[in-house]
Amino acid sequence: MKILESAPYRYDKGIKILTLGNITKAYDRLTQQVKKGDNILDVGCGTGMLTLHALIKGANVTGIDINTEMLEIARIRIENSDFKENVNLLEMGVAELDNFDENEFDVIMSGLCFSELSNDELNYTLKFSKKILKQNSLLIIADEVKSNLFVFRFLNFLIRIPLVIVTYILTQTTTKAVKGLEEKVTRAGFKIESIRKNKMRNFIELVARNIKEN
Amino acid sequence: MRITYFFYYVFINVVETLIRLFPVPAKTGYRKIGSPNENSPVLLTCNFHLTIHRLKRAIRGIDCHLLIANSKGINVWCAAAGGLLNNHSVISVIKTSGIEEKANHRTIVLPQLAASGIEAKEIQKKTGWKVIWGPIYAKDIPSFLEKNFTKSEAMRQVKFPIIERIEMATMWWFFLAVIQFIFWIPFIIWKPFLLEEALSMCVQIFWISAISFILFPLFEPLLKANYKADGKFNFKRLIVIFIMIFIAAIGVVIYTFVIKDYDKWILIRWSIISFIMVIIINMDLTGTTPVLKSDLHEERLYHVAIDKEKCRGTGICVEVCPRNCLEMDTKTNKVSDPRARDCVQCGACIVQCPFDALFFRNNQDEIISPENVRKYKLNLMGKRDCCLACKISNTLSK
Repeated sequence: MKILESAPYRYDKGIKILTLGNITKAYDRLTQQVKKGDNILDVGCGTGMLTLHALIKGANVTGIDINTEMLEIARIRIENSDFKENVNLLEMGVAELDNFDENEFDVIMSGLCFSELSNDELNYTLKFSKKILKQNSLLIIADEVKSNLFVFRFLNFLIRIPLVIVTYILTQTTTKAVKGLEEKVTRAGFKIESIRKNKMRNFIELVARNIKEN
Repeated sequence: MRITYFFYYVFINVVETLIRLFPVPAKTGYRKIGSPNENSPVLLTCNFHLTIHRLKRAIRGIDCHLLIANSKGINVWCAAAGGLLNNHSVISVIKTSGIEEKANHRTIVLPQLAASGIEAKEIQKKTGWKVIWGPIYAKDIPSFLEKNFTKSEAMRQVKFPIIERIEMATMWWFFLAVIQFIFWIPFIIWKPFLLEEALSMCVQIFWISAISFILFPLFEPLLKANYKADGKFNFKRLIVIFIMIFIAAIGVVIYTFVIKDYDKWILIRWSIISFIMVIIINMDLTGTTPVLKSDLHEERLYHVAIDKEKCRGTGICVEVCPRNCLEMDTKTNKVSDPRARDCVQCGACIVQCPFDALFFRNNQDEIISPENVRKYKLNLMGKRDCCLACKISNTLSK
């Protein structure tokens, strides 16, 4: 148990190994959509990697996560940066998204969080994201996905197994893949603007726009 | 159908007991038990696969709604005390599973052992659902529901009956046997006749671990350290280790009788492996049981203290204590701890007290506040308070 307890302290390193260092580049690309002064919600901010990317762009960020220890790391990371005034970190889960006001946010973003959610939770998150996101605003997601093509799934499986074992031994961190993300996002009433997948088709960077009907 | 389910049930019980040291997650969310209506009771449990199946079996024939909360595939007590089955898991399953449309009442029955990790007050505040602490064992649920959510004193206490002791013995046996067998593999490839010896060793390990747990009631008084002894080594534990070494030696002797033809090298390696196994099992024998506290953690030096000024006699602590340590004085309306020796430091009383009247304290009068117990549960031994911040800064600067 002792090893598991300190897992959050090794989380960042674990993710970087698992994604072979691509996570930072992905977050850079995604936060290009962020404008100065934007009011942003970071769903599942974890250790604050993505949060900091958005803060550098000059946004005001609300980060939520359920892991006390991860949030503690995020808090210290941001306190050591120059952006500590523009951020609000809250310990809350996606089930509490209904606490935010309607049309409160200019952007909702989420890095490697949706894959941790159950199907129910994911649909709930999308439903309430739509509510609290302003009209024509963006939902930005970076996450691990499963490819629709068997060949890629199989290749992925072969490559991932040793990677997962090594990462787990070194950092007690692992990730899961989210299934059918594009369909779920569309079904929740978002219009997908762009999708970028890596060569292995196991990592998605998705940007969707919130089109409200009335 | 019923007969195939029975075989499936036996199968998963066997397999998941063997790999009991590892989590086995099941799907979270809503499950229908029987044909419930909007007045049927709502129960909640963890997402450890085996727990769900045992629970379903215990409550078959009852119509109710069952919610599976995310505990990362770990059983209720370990997950709650380790901070994995927490307020967020419960809030999330209540709000996202659609139960609010299926039931017209707002009362949810949680396992009593989840009280170490879930704050009833917080759940009520954030979801409007009232938490009732159910019995510890699933087998008591039917009578608990029948008697309108009341439980007897026996239903509130953990026990360690023979069947559970055998489960724990099997768990340790399989884990240790597999690991020692892996070490044999290169030697077996080199000299195939060693396979027989390696398999015999697996039997020996079963003997050691089974006897450790079968004799546990005899060892219990020896293993129970005085909580005020202040972390000094409990020498009575050595007696347990000596008895176990003696038992292991019997195993070695039997093996020499069986194979007849043996040399000193066989004796030496058997003695060494057996000794290592005895030590591993004894390392945290108390922590493997539900009735004694683990003595691997720094927190063993702390005990539950009561602030009588703050106590208002709600009795919630008495209700959630799985070891029946606490007692309510009806005259003064204050709680006391006449059986503090039995405490396993699950922290349930501290977490649940609405007036923060309970906390951890050690002999140096250092305390762990209720706030910190709630925030970090028991999984942050030694990392609470300032240590946490220091640790994080160190990690980030690396």
